[in-house]
Amino acid sequence: MTSTDGFKRHGDHSYVAQFADSEKEVLLNLCEQIIELLSERTDHGNDDPLAAMVGITSHDSPPEDDVLHRLLPNAYADSVDSSEFRRYTESTLRAKKQAHAVVMRIHLKSSEDGTVDLDHDNANAWLGAINDIRLALGVRLKVESNSNEHLEILAPDDPLRGVYAVYTWLGWLQESLLSALIDDADSKSQPENS
Amino acid sequence: MVKTADKVEEEMRAIFSTDTPWVTIVWDDPVNLQTYVTYVFMGLFNYSKARATELMLQVHNEGKAIVSTGSREEMEHDVARLHEYGLWATLQRGDQL
Repeated sequence: MTSTDGFKRHGDHSYVAQFADSEKEVLLNLCEQIIELLSERTDHGNDDPLAAMVGITSHDSPPEDDVLHRLLPNAYADSVDSSEFRRYTESTLRAKKQAHAVVMRIHLKSSEDGTVDLDHDNANAWLGAINDIRLALGVRLKVESNSNEHLEILAPDDPLRGVYAVYTWLGWLQESLLSALIDDADSKSQPENS
Repeated sequence: MVKTADKVEEEMRAIFSTDTPWVTIVWDDPVNLQTYVTYVFMGLFNYSKARATELMLQVHNEGKAIVSTGSREEMEHDVARLHEYGLWATLQRGDQL
């Protein structure tokens, strides 16, 4: 099978991509990993079931893992305010991010020939999920704003080389979905020809 | 950390004060695509493409930008939505910038 051309707009609110088997495998694998990563932290359980039910967690410290810390960042510079905010919002944020990745996984799993057809809401979930995966990979790859020279010159046998290739590909895929969405929005904002 | 009485009093004043605006700040990030940041600003805040692009460029060139202003509660809501879409955002009092 040939590799994908990325997402294309098909009429109103429909964004379609065709993935090769190998691409589907990679995307599914990354979805599973991000869903797993965002599962509730086991280091600080919540003893109060009522608090857990309304999304209040007993842990309020930032995650120690760098990737999780990037996905669930502090909301305040002040550590006291930040902890308070985290206690009331972190489980909701985890659940929302997981939901994006779950939407992506469902589309990939239910596609037999590798075709994925997204409506507007699903496209936004895909954008969020792809972005979280890129953020996670970016932390591991130590992506920097000024230069990624250290990644361009990785040795052929360096395992990070493959990770960087996936990271770059995901950026391209995300860009193609954004283009399709923006193209759709632009076509609606133009005045009708009379 | 134990909050001192002064700190609590200051917070209570901030909560009940209607005239202290809070701001949401988005910080530069080497991973997020420029197109994506612009798209998120348009979607979450209903900004025009021109306004969203201007803010994205400010984040990119100056390292940060104020993307919304309002009550503390409103800014916490904005920060939560920006975090949901992977943007690096914080909130703070507008008079402490």
